[in-house]
Amino acid sequence: MNPIVASLTEVFQMVFFVLWSVFLVEAYLYLHFKKYEEKWFTPAMLAGVPLAGLVYAITAVGPAIPGSIMAAIAMYAFLVELAAIPFFKLVVRGRYSLPLMMIAPGFIGLAMLIAYPLVFEFYLAFHDLKLTTLKVWAETGSIPFMGFQNFVDVFVKSPLSEVTFWRLLLRTLGWTFVNVFFHVVGGFALALVLNNEIKMKGLYRTLLVIPWAMPQVVAVLAMRGEFHSQYGFINVMIERALTAMPWLAHLGIQKVEWLSQHPFLTCTMINVWLGIPFMMVVILGGLQSIPKSYYEAASIDGASAVQKFWNITLPLMRPVLAPAVTLGTIWTFNNINIIYLVTGQAGGTEEADILVSALYKAAFTYNRFSYSAAFAIVIFAILFLVSMLWLKYSKGTDSAYG
Amino acid sequence: MADKDLELARLENDRQQRRDKIKTLILHVLLILACVVTVYPLLRILSVSLRPGDKLMSTSLALIPEGASLKAYADVLTTTHFLRWLWNSLLITVVTSFIGVSLASTAGYAFSRFRFPGNKLGLTLLLGTQMIPAGMLLLPLFLMIMRLGLINTYIGMIIAYSVSSLPFSIWILKGYYDTIPRSLEEAALVDGTTQFGAFYRIVLPLSTPALAIAFLFNFTSSWNEYLVARVVLSDSARYTWTLGLFELQGQFLTQWGMFAAGSLLVTIPVLAVFLYSSKWLISGLTLGSVKG
Repeated sequence: MNPIVASLTEVFQMVFFVLWSVFLVEAYLYLHFKKYEEKWFTPAMLAGVPLAGLVYAITAVGPAIPGSIMAAIAMYAFLVELAAIPFFKLVVRGRYSLPLMMIAPGFIGLAMLIAYPLVFEFYLAFHDLKLTTLKVWAETGSIPFMGFQNFVDVFVKSPLSEVTFWRLLLRTLGWTFVNVFFHVVGGFALALVLNNEIKMKGLYRTLLVIPWAMPQVVAVLAMRGEFHSQYGFINVMIERALTAMPWLAHLGIQKVEWLSQHPFLTCTMINVWLGIPFMMVVILGGLQSIPKSYYEAASIDGASAVQKFWNITLPLMRPVLAPAVTLGTIWTFNNINIIYLVTGQAGGTEEADILVSALYKAAFTYNRFSYSAAFAIVIFAILFLVSMLWLKYSKGTDSAYG
Repeated sequence: MADKDLELARLENDRQQRRDKIKTLILHVLLILACVVTVYPLLRILSVSLRPGDKLMSTSLALIPEGASLKAYADVLTTTHFLRWLWNSLLITVVTSFIGVSLASTAGYAFSRFRFPGNKLGLTLLLGTQMIPAGMLLLPLFLMIMRLGLINTYIGMIIAYSVSSLPFSIWILKGYYDTIPRSLEEAALVDGTTQFGAFYRIVLPLSTPALAIAFLFNFTSSWNEYLVARVVLSDSARYTWTLGLFELQGQFLTQWGMFAAGSLLVTIPVLAVFLYSSKWLISGLTLGSVKG
């Protein structure tokens, strides 16, 4: 079959499946919210819901479902319905029908694709799923129980082949701090410059956001090319400087093997370049909302530019900066893209990995499924702890500022 | 006396003007330097894409290389699956965004207009999902997709993508619905429509800009996605363009020209759409974060 037609058919199947699921959910809720007082309600639902479950299973998966599974579906649907009927008749009594019907499809989607995977992650972390047990699991659905062994291993064994958890943690903290610091400082500086009355401001602003606007894959791969030891822009420039001014070599200036010798530095530089525009735009938005009259009043009082910055700009920017920094920190902490795209190919180094990129590699390059589930939970716990501390800390300073 | 004052004032004025001129000059120099840093890598892609095949490996920094040719563009379009990759990306992205925005449009309305048990909790949970590292959900999602036999399928990709932007879209749309006066719906209710009819006929058409932004947000995040695609797709004919370009760039520099040409072909429309919509996207971003 023509590949275009084949792909369209496949996608339409998906659309049909989603629409059909939404229809069934809404029909179920409609009957239970609006018709619960009818005489036929209880018997019709007890018979209809298991039947609908079977029809749904067959339309979604195909008619090849074994009889035992069909029977199980019908039985579970019957039991669930047996509990649901009194709930709708006695507790819900048709209240809040519209809002609940409106959020139901979205939240069912979130439950299946965010909540269930989270639960499954915990299940995996306490069991032993790796490449050797994968096939058995795919066929029978059972994997050996491990207890807390995986969690112990996270701290004891290397997630990859050499680098340890503690090194990764340290590097992640450094990565997050350095990146967010330069994003905010660089973004602030550019925003301050852009906030003046100058010609072609719109053009500058447009050109400056290009790293953010470009598809990240393209931006990172292009930048990686510029760090190539022979043909990359940086080393070409160094080489030209050396040919023009040979005495520079005596100062220790020479070509750098960016990707193989200093991968972490390379990744950090690329990410700083990528992240500044976002901060710049957010901060510029904030700067423009500060009334000019504040600065005029300060000028009349004889305040210097530095004084104006510390006493007017910075305090008034706090409400803009606080969420931007919080978001920026979480994004940077969780940023797999840059490091994976720069170092992720076969034979890639581990010297640039942070926690999340090591997690990705442990799961999908090394196929240590259960191990990386435990690893993911540990990482999430760290992020959660840091965020709680940060929230507490930032609230503390809020009250200090009144 | 008055003449002297006037003279002094004029001198002071001149000095001020000169100072302003120098300041403007410095600002322009700074901005031009910064723009060079942000734009130059993009120009380098252009330059590499124009290089003739035998001069691909070159330390030249000229923007338009000697013997510039469009051969790399022709090659990437004819000798690779590039068009196929674009089609795959487009198909997956459009369907995902369509599902995401339709689910978000009704959920956002419920959160904006009704008080119901779980209203607050639901909104908080939506924000909470943003805290979960993307890498954390990927493994269980991948295993689920594998077990369902959906590896290497568009359906698997759509499932993996469809709800990732949903919480954010719901917040954006809720924020926008909040700004639409209720009196419009009340008038329609008096005229005999149902509440859902009022949403469908009045609020939804009025929210076109917000729906467009939510769609665009869904669209760009799936369009530029790489890590999920890397895991779910392994057949080169099913790749999205991000995977395809990564493969072209690969270990060998021989395909660098094709990589550059392909990158540019993808980047230009993305840049155009982004720059056109950035104002709204940013207000949406700050809206979500300030409320959080």
